[in-house]
Amino acid sequence: MTRMYGLPWSLIFTLLGGAALTGATCGLLGTFVVRLRLSSLGFTMSHAAFAGAALGLALGIEPLTLALIGAILTAAVLGPVAERAKLPADVITGVLFPLTMALGLIFLYLAPGTAMSSSALGLLWGSLFAMAGEDLLRLLGLAGAIALTVWLFFKEFQALLFDRKLAEESGVPTRPFYYLILFLTGVTIALALRLVGGLLVFVLLQSPAATAFQFSYDLKKIFFWAALLGVIYASMGLGLSFALDLPLGSAIVLVSTLGFGLAVWSSPKRRRT
Amino acid sequence: MATPAIELKSVSTVYEGERVPAIRDIELTLESGELVAIIGPNGAGKTTLLETINGLLPHTRGQVRVLGRDVARCGPQLRSHIGYVPQEFQFDETTPVLVRDVVLMGRYGRIGLVRRPTAEDRARAQEALELLGLAELAERPLGKLSGGQQQKVLLARALAKEPKILLLDEPFSHLDFAAREGVAELIARWHRERLLTVLIVLHDLEAIPQSCHRVILLNEGRIRHDGARERVVRAFALSYGG
Repeated sequence: MTRMYGLPWSLIFTLLGGAALTGATCGLLGTFVVRLRLSSLGFTMSHAAFAGAALGLALGIEPLTLALIGAILTAAVLGPVAERAKLPADVITGVLFPLTMALGLIFLYLAPGTAMSSSALGLLWGSLFAMAGEDLLRLLGLAGAIALTVWLFFKEFQALLFDRKLAEESGVPTRPFYYLILFLTGVTIALALRLVGGLLVFVLLQSPAATAFQFSYDLKKIFFWAALLGVIYASMGLGLSFALDLPLGSAIVLVSTLGFGLAVWSSPKRRRT
Repeated sequence: MATPAIELKSVSTVYEGERVPAIRDIELTLESGELVAIIGPNGAGKTTLLETINGLLPHTRGQVRVLGRDVARCGPQLRSHIGYVPQEFQFDETTPVLVRDVVLMGRYGRIGLVRRPTAEDRARAQEALELLGLAELAERPLGKLSGGQQQKVLLARALAKEPKILLLDEPFSHLDFAAREGVAELIARWHRERLLTVLIVLHDLEAIPQSCHRVILLNEGRIRHDGARERVVRAFALSYGG
């Protein structure tokens, strides 16, 4: 047997590997996003990556390159703004989300050929067939780099995730680590864009980690479970997408939301002892 | 002549977006091994003064030197030798950290980047937990503890650092009477046995330790009195009805 759902096994394995690596990477970084309440920043970054990729399509440039630039630029600008101006999260999202979304749609509209071509739609809600072998290698490199960074600087990240002011008080310089998290989040979002899509990539940065936080107070365990749940959500989403012929991003959102809902319902943190 | 533990020369600190300095023209020297209390009404600048000394708040004028080094330049390195217990803290029930980790974190600055905590670091953290009577709570999530227990955890964290200087901001505010006595005795013992320099902010004048070398009265960001306990407390009572 060489095919499944009419697809060669090599493609199936590429997709499964891509989904698992995207899930693991997003799960690991999501631990920071959830705990540091960076959701609005990540949300805006994901739409900036989408706008960048759409601009790439319009200009005939590799969409990934401009998606990376869009996400990292947003992190570089919004990180200091959010930190220094102490802007409430909803203000950042309220102002910049419509802007990045509008730019993305304008660029798609300007893209040559059919306005809503399959590559354009893939940018919006992800595509099974956008993932190639080289994307897999990039994701593997990123997942390895993030896992290594978390392992090397675990105690600094632990202090930062506990309380930033007390971390500084301990003598841990938090600012470089905060910006490192923003940078890695931007890169992750850009690389995950092909698979999950610009509209929905953010769910993988939120749901696996938010689920893991329901079950433990030990940060090492939370990192581990967030990465594993990311793999599970993304892989199950891939399966659901195949089985019901749904857009991949949407299928992952359905699985992740269900998983998070079940976790909140069964969380021992909410049980009275 | 020995280097002072803390030395502030004409120091003012203005909060971001504010015009009026929270503390201004502060001249203050603490010799090594001194125990000094700071009193003053609400909003006098007591917390600002402590956080200016350890560099958590950047001062806008003057010079702050701790252990002979400039805080503006060597903040993180110096902070690994300064234990600090803040007045304000709020850890909700979801805070993902266990008591033992919080106490060990006190040593992270002196351990240094990348390096792992050693058996020695863990032993010091355990010792601090035992000194504060928290050993049985070591595996509990911090956010599940009462305010008083959390305050003791923060004090254990400061002591686990084996600091040369201890800055305490209302360290008894969440404690009941019995716990307060025990913690006051512990601070006095550490000060005496380890020659610690201690600067303690207090709201309750009766809590000023007997072993206090001098008391500073702060109001509207300025030092109004600096001297013997009885004289400064009397001045405070006369001025503010304390």
